[in-house]
Amino acid sequence: MAKVIGIDLGTTFSAVAVMEAGEPVIIPNAEGGRITPSVVAISKNGERLTGQVAKRQAITNSENTIFSIKRLMGRKFNEPTVEDDRKLLPFKITKAANGDAKVVMGDKEYSPPEISAMILQKLKMDAEAYLGQKVTEAVITVPAYFNDSQRQATKDAGKIAGLEVLRIINEPTAASLAYGLDKKVEETIAVYDLGGGTFDISILELGEGTFQVKSTNGDTHLGGDDFDQRIMDWLCNEFKKDQGIDLRQDRMALQRLKEAAEKAKGELSTIQQTEVNLPFITADASGPKHLSITLTRAKLEQLVMDLVEKSLGPCRQALADAEKTAAQIDEVVLVGGQTRMPLVQEKVQQLFGKEPNKGVNPDEVVAIGAAIQAGVLKGEVKDVLLLDVTPLTLGIETLGGVATPLIPRNTTIPTAKSQIFSTAADNQPSVEIHVLQGERPMATDNRTLGRFMLDGILPAPRGVPQIEVSFDIDANGIISVKAHDKGTGKEQKITITASSGLSKEEVERMQREAEAHAADDAKRREEVETRNAADTLAYTAEKTLREHKEKIPSDLNQEVESKVQAVRSTLQGTDINAIRQAMQELNEAMQKVGAAIYQQQPPPGGEAPPGGEPPPGKEGVEEGTVEGEFREV
Amino acid sequence: MRQEEPTNEVEPEVAEVEDIDTLKQALAEAKKRAEANLANWQRAQADFINYKRRSEQEMAEVGKFANTTLMLTLLPILDDLERALTSTPPQMAKLDWVDGIRLIERKLRASLEAQGLSQIRALGKPFDPNFHEAVRQDKGKDGIVIEELQKGYMLHDRVIRPTMVVVGNGEEEEEKEE
Repeated sequence: MAKVIGIDLGTTFSAVAVMEAGEPVIIPNAEGGRITPSVVAISKNGERLTGQVAKRQAITNSENTIFSIKRLMGRKFNEPTVEDDRKLLPFKITKAANGDAKVVMGDKEYSPPEISAMILQKLKMDAEAYLGQKVTEAVITVPAYFNDSQRQATKDAGKIAGLEVLRIINEPTAASLAYGLDKKVEETIAVYDLGGGTFDISILELGEGTFQVKSTNGDTHLGGDDFDQRIMDWLCNEFKKDQGIDLRQDRMALQRLKEAAEKAKGELSTIQQTEVNLPFITADASGPKHLSITLTRAKLEQLVMDLVEKSLGPCRQALADAEKTAAQIDEVVLVGGQTRMPLVQEKVQQLFGKEPNKGVNPDEVVAIGAAIQAGVLKGEVKDVLLLDVTPLTLGIETLGGVATPLIPRNTTIPTAKSQIFSTAADNQPSVEIHVLQGERPMATDNRTLGRFMLDGILPAPRGVPQIEVSFDIDANGIISVKAHDKGTGKEQKITITASSGLSKEEVERMQREAEAHAADDAKRREEVETRNAADTLAYTAEKTLREHKEKIPSDLNQEVESKVQAVRSTLQGTDINAIRQAMQELNEAMQKVGAAIYQQQPPPGGEAPPGGEPPPGKEGVEEGTVEGEFREV
Repeated sequence: MRQEEPTNEVEPEVAEVEDIDTLKQALAEAKKRAEANLANWQRAQADFINYKRRSEQEMAEVGKFANTTLMLTLLPILDDLERALTSTPPQMAKLDWVDGIRLIERKLRASLEAQGLSQIRALGKPFDPNFHEAVRQDKGKDGIVIEELQKGYMLHDRVIRPTMVVVGNGEEEEEKEE
């Protein structure tokens, strides 16, 4: 089935995403990056370069390297913004016969859609490589302020790249979609987009699933790059104060400073201070010089405060244009890498009086939204099977009142699972299957979904019968539990329809309780496990005495018997340490038994007891054999 | 297979003649639903197969490139160590202690190389943006890397950090040739 991709065709970077199994995912490019520079170039030997590679060679080939082509999309050569851009951009901009702006690359004229198409082609190819299939359709995003001719130019770019553009959507709309805001009823949404080089604010109104742009504003020359520059300037000034050397004159030092500034900025979004540490940054007659400066978040915020505040003016203007007050904004969405900065989030929150939506990677949120729109157009989002998960763990009660999980919580349903259990006592005729739901390790703390008996088990020593318990949950959450005695072929089952009878609040309460009691529960579980282990040990010891009576000296026999009694009497009480102590002593005595038996002569294989019991007297008898046994009934 | 479905599902005895239209309609609806379900099932299956194929591919890559992030954080330290050693004051260069530090640097480099790291040799080669990032141009042979500002590295066959280079602009060379 052909996939439709969602493309964020940005001024400096572009990204592409697709719906997969009902979830949007970003498609990494061939170089392994999640975003691709919107740069195209023709190298001196006529080769066309796109993305990261084109960016890397820009300095050597500036007249044939085209970037920021988005600024020229659908524009006339004589427009004032184009005149401004002509002064800033290093490549040649010319006038086409119809008055459109064109660019020159490798001695050839290209229209802006042709250049954009080269970027789209690269994204298309990367998507095809990722998906392993042809891609022919796309949804592409544009700024909310794009006019008809700019939108048409973007559509044309898609066509040239071999993509049928199913829809052009606004970037703020895409960002809102990524947060699922289209599912709300009627709302007013502010989308604050602070990217690398540009700032946009849009006020949208949502009604009946459609977004309407009420107003837009922004600053075409404000972004994260300005923040980096502030940090670099400060580092240079500090270094000059300290060492008297101006690093601005040293190209190599500047390169290292730039990387360090970006890194420090990123780190200060999560920690309070960081060290910019650049040893051997430069040298003078007296020797090498090192840069080692601590930058705190507070200092960073002081350095860039005016930049952040500069973004608030357009926000207020956009509100005024939309005839809204800040209090009338229901949702705020953050877009662009620079919105990771806590100060930016704080100021935005202050202005609009509510916490912004975050959580989706702000560099990727627009492409994600475009992919969701693509999925909706293809009917994929609506139709995709919504698979549920089990909100709580399902299991059964086993020896000592322990809840043994079979299907852990958050398992996607439908699912099935089975496990073999056994009896807890010799000649146990029946087992009770007690079906439980919940996160607590003890059966009594969980919710009982149902219980039933499987009887007719043939007389056998404990641990020998094999009872297979199977859980099966269908897509509607209906659980059937089946117990099957492998020896007799007897079977019993129960179907539980009330599995989802719990409200969301109840599920949450049970999960909370499980967390709150985690430490207590672990202790109780350990107690039960110790008890079970002690019981098994006593049982095994008695069995060993019975089976090897003639090989064991009578005084040793008596010693073991009394220690077995000691274990059993401690099991009557509640002192876990006493049980452990008694077990320890019995274990030691049993080792003597083992030694006595082996001294006589190693028992031939034929004499080994049936049922594959482990050789008696060995260490580790207490562990493993009890797990999964049913409580005696 | 799809042709068999209607005969299996409809029970003719129960159906009254007057209801035949209703039944036809119900059948059409059921068919439509079955087709939609089949389409969705195929889609889910296709998604799953693709996902499986890609996760196998990714698992292989993950093994090979799991160390990329770690390498990228260690490279600046290797750079710093090299810088320190290349600017050893002359009066100290002969000290055994400095030799020891040199050995540490060599050991670090060898350990990283054993994990698949290799240095990109750029100096004197034609500028290639697949491996190099041009930081500026200067007098020198046209299109040739005349200076490495920061060493570039590959992990296995992937560039994890391009070499930061200065590229010749052809000026000096012409003068020499004239």
